[in-house]
Amino acid sequence: MEQSGTSTLLQGAVQDLASSVVSALRGGDHARAATPGVVDSDAGGIALAAVRVLGSDALLPSVLLGTPPDPDELAVFRKAVESFPPRADAAPAVLWSHWAMARTLRRLDPSSAAGEAEPGADWLDGASWQVLTHQLAVLAPLALPGEECAVTRAAGRRPVDVARGFVRAVRRRDWRQAAGAGRWLTLLDGVPTTLGLEAGLDFVELMGGQDPQVELQVRAARLLRAGAPV
Amino acid sequence: MTDTRLIHTVGVGAIEWLWAHRDGFRLQPDVDPEIGFLERFKPVGELALICKVLFREGVAGSRQAELARRLLDHAWRETLDGGAMLVRGQRTEPISPIPFEVYLPFKELGYSHPEVERAAVLNHRLDSWVAFEVTPTRRLGLSAFQRRYGLTPRPPEADLVGGTWLARTPEPWTVEGHIAYDVTHTVFHLTDWGENPGGLPPDIADYLATWLPVWIDDWLDLERWDLLGELLVVDACLPRPTLDERAWRAFAAAQQPDGAMPAIRTMPEGEPDEVFDIVYHPTLVAAFASVLATSRALSELAEAS
Repeated sequence: MEQSGTSTLLQGAVQDLASSVVSALRGGDHARAATPGVVDSDAGGIALAAVRVLGSDALLPSVLLGTPPDPDELAVFRKAVESFPPRADAAPAVLWSHWAMARTLRRLDPSSAAGEAEPGADWLDGASWQVLTHQLAVLAPLALPGEECAVTRAAGRRPVDVARGFVRAVRRRDWRQAAGAGRWLTLLDGVPTTLGLEAGLDFVELMGGQDPQVELQVRAARLLRAGAPV
Repeated sequence: MTDTRLIHTVGVGAIEWLWAHRDGFRLQPDVDPEIGFLERFKPVGELALICKVLFREGVAGSRQAELARRLLDHAWRETLDGGAMLVRGQRTEPISPIPFEVYLPFKELGYSHPEVERAAVLNHRLDSWVAFEVTPTRRLGLSAFQRRYGLTPRPPEADLVGGTWLARTPEPWTVEGHIAYDVTHTVFHLTDWGENPGGLPPDIADYLATWLPVWIDDWLDLERWDLLGELLVVDACLPRPTLDERAWRAFAAAQQPDGAMPAIRTMPEGEPDEVFDIVYHPTLVAAFASVLATSRALSELAEAS
């Protein structure tokens, strides 16, 4: 029971954090629902875990809009990056999520010594279009304009496959995957025009936008499409 | 690419089942007028169309071809009573296109009945035939059948293609079951049921090459075998068919030992006639997909060697 109670708490914290990011991306008040401060308490532990789930998107407003990060948020983010390095044998998506967080931390906190070495991205080149899209959706925080890495290059080589994965996700009502794939597609060249991406993102928002993690990706995609500077 | 033998075996089993259950192709002369005598003609027409494809492609084994020929004879002589039932249907509903649609593949295979032909030619002259309200895809099919019959299509097919869902190449994520069946039938009509893959306009072929893999993936996972079979036919009509291995393996695995193909997930239970009415179509489609895909696979082998 305690396990499921913690898991519910974490899901709630992730949703609250995503909501606050969405709010900031909209230009509204940045309600700091999920940053109770870095303390050795259950609440602090949950907040750290929530940041790790959202990855570098936890600071997306600062990355995309250039707004200075809140010092408390930055402290939680730094702790999430520095205290929990992934094991060397972690799944590629975990390694890349950590790498993305470290990159964001270096940008927003130049004093950070978080590592720069890129993990490998070979697993994406050998992946079916279904797996490719799923993995890219998990790594949607890497979908940023002008930010190259091995994952963005792998995505850039397969725009049709990512578009297929978007269609698959919409058909399956997997709105989080669809939104993440849609965010990637706004950045890629060579996406088939018949996809109808713009209306597709609106459709994903209409159907799944009550989930803040979906809304976050749709908002991010719109900002990317509008050419947000990074 | 999928093992050609696996693809071929699906069609062999399907024809065996259809032959064993040929009495399922039955009309109901005493049917309630509210349902309509012509409702039960569709399976007979589909059987003839697909047997025609089987002869045309020439990839059937000798027993498969023999069974297909006997199935056609049975359908013409027994079910249609040598065409008399088509005449009766025409007299019941003179403006209905169904007798004409059922008759066409039989005529192409050498069967004939003069009175059905007179009705076909007369209907062709009627403005009511042109005005008869049907979906754009069915209308395209009617004009294609007029051309195949030797009549000048009214309206011309070129005027009709643009009215179909597929020709507008819409957002692929909006496709659901009914739309998918419209897509498959538009392709059947544009290619004369796979005979002329060049009949697909290049933009439609490109659109299908891009999005068909997603739809195949989706309806495969839903175990909608009837629709999956039609999508596998569409694949075989493309300039570069994928002959998707995962889909073909699952399609073959879904087929019953006696050759029946369930429509959705597993075989239904019920009286033999009820079961026939549910599974005859996916089983016919399995034969159709198998013949076309086998033919394309063998052509590719021939080109590669």
